[in-house]
Order: sequence, then C-alpha cells, then structure tokens
Amino acid sequence: MDYVLQQLANGLALGSIYALLAIGLTMVYGILRLINFAHGDLMMLGAYLAAVVIGSAYIPIVLAVLVPTVVIGIAGLLVERTAYKPLRGAPEVAMLITSLGVSRLLQNSTVMGLSPQPRSFKLPGDLTTSFEIAGIRLTMLDLLTLGLVVVLMVGLSVFINKSRTGMAMRASSENLQAARLIGINVNHVIGAAFVLGSALAGLAGFLWAGRYGIIDPFMGFEPGLKAFVAAVIGGIGSIRGAVVGGMILGVAEIGFVGFLPPEFSGFRDAFVFGLLLLVLLVRPNGLFGTSEVERA
Amino acid sequence: MLEIKDLHVSYGKIAALRGVSLSVAEGEIVTVVGGNGAGKTTTLRTISGVLKPVSGSITFEGESLVGLVSEKVVRRGISHSPEGRLIFGRLSIAENLRLGAYNRKDSAGIASDLDRMYEMFPVLADRRSQRAGTLSGGEQQMLAIGRSLMSNPRLLLLDEPSLGLAPLIVEQIFKVIVDLRQQGVTILLVEQNANEALRISDRAYVLETGEVAMQGPSDQMLKDPKLRTAYLGVD
Repeated sequence: MDYVLQQLANGLALGSIYALLAIGLTMVYGILRLINFAHGDLMMLGAYLAAVVIGSAYIPIVLAVLVPTVVIGIAGLLVERTAYKPLRGAPEVAMLITSLGVSRLLQNSTVMGLSPQPRSFKLPGDLTTSFEIAGIRLTMLDLLTLGLVVVLMVGLSVFINKSRTGMAMRASSENLQAARLIGINVNHVIGAAFVLGSALAGLAGFLWAGRYGIIDPFMGFEPGLKAFVAAVIGGIGSIRGAVVGGMILGVAEIGFVGFLPPEFSGFRDAFVFGLLLLVLLVRPNGLFGTSEVERA
Repeated sequence: MLEIKDLHVSYGKIAALRGVSLSVAEGEIVTVVGGNGAGKTTTLRTISGVLKPVSGSITFEGESLVGLVSEKVVRRGISHSPEGRLIFGRLSIAENLRLGAYNRKDSAGIASDLDRMYEMFPVLADRRSQRAGTLSGGEQQMLAIGRSLMSNPRLLLLDEPSLGLAPLIVEQIFKVIVDLRQQGVTILLVEQNANEALRISDRAYVLETGEVAMQGPSDQMLKDPKLRTAYLGVD
C-alpha cells in the first residue's frame, strides 16, 4: 500500500510539471489554434536561468523560483510579438512552422551561446532534504512543486473566471472574430495568454531541472511533447483539462515504470502515447473538451 | 451620420463591392436588401473594420473610419451585431453582455445598462447565469443585440437579425428594432426578409452583385413592381 501511495505521490509531482507546461500550450491553442512547439524550449531557458540564479551564491530560493517565472513570461511575450503576431490572419500552418523555427532558434542559440554539453543542476540544499509523511518519502522540491501547482491553479482559475481579461480570454478562445468585432483588443488577450503560459513554463523549467539534476539545450523537447499529450488528453483549449491531463500523464508514466516488470520500463513513452490513443478513442475531444459544434 | 462613398472591397481577386455609396442620417432606420452574395454583409464588415476597402471612403460623424481596427470603430460609437449572432455559447448570458461593454470604464453606467438590457429582454434576465449556448435561436439573437447595445452605440449595424427564426420571434425582433430607434439609436439593417425590413425602415438600398441597384424611401420601394417580384415574392 505504501508503495502504491509513494508511486502516486511521485506521479503527481511529475504530473504537476506537465500540468504547468500544458496550461500554456492549451491557452495559446485555445485562442490562436497554434500548437506552440517553442513552448518546451522556453521551459529549457527557464531551467538555465534558474541554474544561473542558483549558481550565484547566497541567493534565496524564492529568487530561483521567481526569476525564471518572470523573465520567461516576458520572453514568451517577445516571441509572440516578433514571431507570431506578424502572421495574424495567415493560415494556421504558417504559425505552426514558425513555432518549429522558434524552437530551433532557441535551442541552437543556447548551444552557441553556452555549450551543447549537458551540465549538472544543483538544487540548494534545503530543497533536497527529504522526509516522510505517512510512509511516503517526499523531498522539499516535491512539496514545493505540489504546493505551487495548487496555489497557481486556484489563482489562475480566479483570474480566468472572474477578471475582465480572463473573461475576454474565454470569449476569444471561443470565437476570436466575434471577440474582435465586439471591441475586445485581441492582441492584449493573446499577449496575456503568452505571458501567463510562458511564465508557468519558466517555473516548470526550474522544477524539472531540480527533479532530474541535469540540463541541456534540448531538454525542452520531451516535456513539451508530453505536455501537449496532457493537453490533448484533457481536451485541448480547456485549462482544467490541461491540469487533469498533466496529472493523469504523470501518474501513468510513473505507474508504468513502478508496476510493470523492469524490462518494460524502457517503453514508458510507448505506454504514455498508448494512453493518449486510448483516451482519444473513447473521447475524441479529450476529457474536458467541447466539440466545435455548438447549438445554432 | 454615416457616409459611404464609392466603396470597393475585394476578397482576393474577386470584387465583392463595386462602388457602393450609401448614407445613414441620425435617427433613421436604413435597410439594405439584396440576394445572397450581393455584398450586404461585406458592407457591414467593412464599416466595422473587419475588412479593408480597396478604395472609397467611410466617414462617421465627419471622421474617416477607413483603416481603423474593429476595437476603435466600437469606441467611435458603432456596434455590429453579426450574421449568425456569434454569441459566446460557453460563457454565461451576463458575461456575454458584460463583454459588450469591454471598452467602457464607467462601471455605474455599465450596471445601469445591464439592468436596461434585462428589462428589454426579460427572457435573458431570468437566465443570466446560464450558459448562452443553452438559449434558443431567438433568445440568442436578443442576446447578440443586447451585447452590441452594451457598448452604448449611436449607430447599430444589424446583420440578418431574423435569419432562421420563427415568424413570431421575427416579429419580436423587429419590434425591438423599432423601440431602439425611439430610444435614439440609429440603425443600419441588413435583411433577407425584405418585406418586414421595408415596413419598419425609413429608407432602403437594394444591392445587386456589389452595386446599388435601387434606393429610395422604404414605402415607395414596397410598392415598386420590380422589387416586389425580385425580393418580396409577390407577382
């Protein structure tokens, strides 16, 4: 039983990171119908930033959390304004290709500016201490991850459901043309979605690096892809779906490794994508997705 | 109030408007009728900044609207209730209305206008926290009109408000339009339902393949034999 709970806790900690990434992907997709391939690379930049912050001695942990979050949030806005905004009104595939380009640009700039070699990522000591609650062993980082995700989800849900910008965001994601027509400045709304989503990706970069202890310029690809899977499982465009999808994916991934015979653990990604196929077979729009067809 | 001169609009190489001129004076209801593809919706979409004209001018209260994005057009006092209504089905009725006032800062004014909308459309008041997608077609049309009114427009562009609605509901919608004019809103109405539209309007334009084919006072148009056979289904 303890073993099951332990795996569940590990899965939720990993799933939290997928959830943070998936939120940005799903918000942007909801409004622009863009699968932003550069999202994982923003996360990678967040991890490098966190490494720099932690590397400079005697800096409180809170800065290691805040700096990647804030800076990557701004970086996301910059990417939107320089790469995607000029393509408003162009076919969706043009933006998709552009996002692949941005992804490569960010990866290769990091290779050129720093190094293609992986480097180790050392968490401040306080975060690596582990302790036991009810037979489950958790590190401070796990606890921080879970805590941050809960707080951020509550905050985000208040923002999306209660604020004026959040309301405009939901309207834009339902019908961008109509939102524009009734006088919503959709560029503000899109900008807000990029800032928020990228900030969460920056934070995810710190948490991911802390979890695996190693960073490299191409580290963003896999979590980016997994987060996309999470968003699709949850129903792309739905923020609640992104969170639930991320958690399911995290728990499933850890579960596959923890409960299947060791010789299968190399196939964890095959199981993850198999899960995606299964969900889509039963619910083609994902768990919380709505079909595009609404009552006329 | 609104003055359109020699407006040309194209979708790629296909000309949709070929030199349309029309005007709306303050306090009027002006109707634009015409068949499918005549350019009615294109005219409205160009006024509200969704489409950019190739040439020609659009002036509202003496100032040009050409080149303004929709958001700025709304700020000038023009509101567009689009064809197909385009309400936000997943948002609540109250949220749809509030979004109509997105550019306004006067929260007291917004609140009183919100009450005014609920008074004008009691069906919306009873269900204000429901998802707008659960409304019937006629109710959605009322919500769409209400949403456009929330920006406090001086000129309201209405695109096919009666489309796909039962005759009884159509009658209600047209009554709302007449009421609105009495409250001081000028209206430019695009309709397939030419008969009804001509009855409630002061003047009318007939568009054919992107050009103004006829224009004049609505009561005269109603009697015009050519128009009667072409658009009113009477021979």
